[in-house]
Amino acid sequence: MRMKGFAKHYYLMLIPGFLWLFVFSIVPMFGIIISFQYFNPGKGILGSDWAGLEHFKYMFLLKDTQEVFSNTLVIASMKIVANLIAPLLFALMLNELRLMILRRWIQTIVYLPHFLSWVILGGIVLDLFSYNGPVNQLAALFGLQPKLFFADAQLFPFLVVGSDVWKEFGFGTIIYLAALTGINPALYEAANIDGAGRWRSLWHITLPGIRTTAVLLTVLSLGNVLNAGFDQIFNLYNPLVYSTGDIIDTWVYRTGLLNLQYELATAVGLLKSVVGFLLISVSYYLAYRFVNYRIF
Amino acid sequence: MKNKSKPLALLLACFLVLGACSNTTNNTPAAPEKSAESSEPADPFGRYEEPVQISISIEIDPTDNELPPGDTPLDNQYTRQIKEALNVDVDHQFAASGQNLRQRISLAIASNDLPDAMVVNAVELRQLVEADQIADLTEVYEQYASPDIKTIIENTNGAALDAVTFDGKIMALPGVQANADGIHLLWIRQDWLDKLNLEPPTTMAELEDVARAFVEDDPDGNGKRDTIGITGPESGGKLYANFLESKNNLYGFDPIFSAHDAFPGYWLEGEDGSPVYGSILPETREALASLRDLYSKGLIDPEMGVRNKADEPIIAGKSGMFFAPWWMAYGPLTNAVKNDPEANWQAYALPLNQNGEFKPHAATPSTEFVVVRKNYEHPEVPMKLLNNLFKNEQENTFDPSKGGPGYYPLRVVYAPSDEIEFTVKALRDVLAGNKTAEDFANDKAYKLLPSDIASIKTIKNEPYDSMDIATWNPEANWGAWTRAYSIMVGGRPLVDTEFEEVSSLLYEQTPLMESRWVNLRKLEDETFLRIIMGAAPLETFDSFVENWKRQGGDQITQEVKEAIAQ
Repeated sequence: MRMKGFAKHYYLMLIPGFLWLFVFSIVPMFGIIISFQYFNPGKGILGSDWAGLEHFKYMFLLKDTQEVFSNTLVIASMKIVANLIAPLLFALMLNELRLMILRRWIQTIVYLPHFLSWVILGGIVLDLFSYNGPVNQLAALFGLQPKLFFADAQLFPFLVVGSDVWKEFGFGTIIYLAALTGINPALYEAANIDGAGRWRSLWHITLPGIRTTAVLLTVLSLGNVLNAGFDQIFNLYNPLVYSTGDIIDTWVYRTGLLNLQYELATAVGLLKSVVGFLLISVSYYLAYRFVNYRIF
Repeated sequence: MKNKSKPLALLLACFLVLGACSNTTNNTPAAPEKSAESSEPADPFGRYEEPVQISISIEIDPTDNELPPGDTPLDNQYTRQIKEALNVDVDHQFAASGQNLRQRISLAIASNDLPDAMVVNAVELRQLVEADQIADLTEVYEQYASPDIKTIIENTNGAALDAVTFDGKIMALPGVQANADGIHLLWIRQDWLDKLNLEPPTTMAELEDVARAFVEDDPDGNGKRDTIGITGPESGGKLYANFLESKNNLYGFDPIFSAHDAFPGYWLEGEDGSPVYGSILPETREALASLRDLYSKGLIDPEMGVRNKADEPIIAGKSGMFFAPWWMAYGPLTNAVKNDPEANWQAYALPLNQNGEFKPHAATPSTEFVVVRKNYEHPEVPMKLLNNLFKNEQENTFDPSKGGPGYYPLRVVYAPSDEIEFTVKALRDVLAGNKTAEDFANDKAYKLLPSDIASIKTIKNEPYDSMDIATWNPEANWGAWTRAYSIMVGGRPLVDTEFEEVSSLLYEQTPLMESRWVNLRKLEDETFLRIIMGAAPLETFDSFVENWKRQGGDQITQEVKEAIAQ
């Protein structure tokens, strides 16, 4: 009640967001119906015959479906962990750097890749790891045989996670640096007087100081656990690494758009949405539980 | 890489369209066609009094710079000629390159937002017929197809019309391609062979020796070990042509498979007379084992299957062998020769199988189809465009160096099945002085023959019986050279060697294939690629066969049996 005067503006500011959500997320949900139909584009969604749960049954029969779901989970989880640790460590190291100018420079350089698309970065990564690329040339100096990195299914998830970290850790660092500047310097001075060394103050002051930020970021990223990154994988993968690199989004794209299997692709997409919805609900609850984060 | 940014946007657009479209707007009954037809007699080449609009889809290669300055894909020698001859204005509903065009077409089908006419493949055609999205062209074909085109279509023994006839109605205009497009040859650097004192490899063992020499003995003479023995398919490319896409497979291993008497991807007659799928036979396992061996020894491009463009090393003079049809001067060889005038690429019907035979798999004549949107007011316009192209090719109206024929709207090829072989023999007779252009005046179906005869002596030097690159003069006319070299070199093994072709029992989809084939093909492609590249043991083949049968392969085989019996 206290906020009544302000509240209107806040709600007005929500309108563009809701509009976007409605047009791009609510309206397309109409298309879900396709997964229960023998979809015939000539007859349209309203005119096609019903198939019941047949496409879902076939979906669970296919080995592909299990494979893409587990690939998605594995790659996304690895990304969440790596994207938590890498920026945190880097922020801590940067924080210890006393030379301000150097710090700014490093910060700027490492967050640049965040602004490039995967079409560009994918090309760079593929070139780096190609048969005659720099990585193999470096390996040759140590007498190693050249290797086709992007044809190796075992290696592919690590290359994906690695290149994703390379692209994003600089940007994540900014958030942690902001959290670090929020720590009261008096705490460090007090610790210093009490005889704490660098490691001690890191352990007892710095880390607890940014704990909430870290937990919040992790919990929120759980909602994205089924988004393993279409752009990135699409630009990096090839049939040799489908077994470990094909994720739900790329599979749905190939099956639905390239192979005209609309119903099957929609069914898998729907399953993804359902699981994703559960995960977002859970992570939102967790965020509320642990760090008292709420939208409203 | 540059093409890959669109898919996400496309996907998003797809869902939007799916969500927003309904069937009500597009199913209004057709009325307007009748008035146009009844008032004037059908004329395959007739000019319209009032300008007529047609929107089409077209494949455009963004790196293509053939068009003269000022011309665009929508305004060039072809579209201007169409406007003048037929009073038809061509518009692009969408234009895209290669793989992107297939996506764009799928999207158009799914959203029921079709151009007035477009060129589609067999799978898309079936989809369109079942969705009832395209017009019945029976009358259009009967009344408007020009006599020459009719002759070519009917000379396929019904194969071309069968492919487009559904419930007795002609639903699309089939293209007809030369047989030669389906026969995959060994293309080899003759100058490398000569330098290393080698002969063209006739057996698999010799192929291995030559490939090893190409990799290890520095055939390009730069002192580095940087050459490729055999080029393999690029990322997304096919290891071999299959019954649905039976021709023009570039850089696959088709002849290596047939050298093992293996015909993967084709429906063959089994020992008991019933159909069997070639990919699950022991011969295919053997061929895979042999390819796996070649790959592990480094004789096949180590980057096969991952490379974005397989033709780059060929153009750069780093590759010694590849497998492809006759028309490779239209492919990488023109640029390869521009880079290195000594690059003496020659074609052979090799390697041979254990009985010393070359047994290529044969293609179906029609793999491209022109379809017309239901309710388009002038369904005969696409047929007229095809008539017009054929006529002007006979009259040699267009200059390929002012933009290739790919810019012609709705182009599909009309070639007599023996066009390449016939042209090879004709040009030999002309070169030898036995015949002149007048002797071929009645062979009008061979539409490019007059221009071939007119230009051959300007680009081919004596001795006329040698096809080595040194005996050609491509600088005189690159456009004519590209065609003549393709025909004389790529067509030579087709004329000079005897071979028996192996056909598939079936070249189209059966009903169950519509839902299952995509995943069976995926299983097959991935397993075979992984076996060859050493990512999976050879024994994976056995579990592949079991999985293939279980996941619908057995049922589909049964369907194929029924389809053939009909």
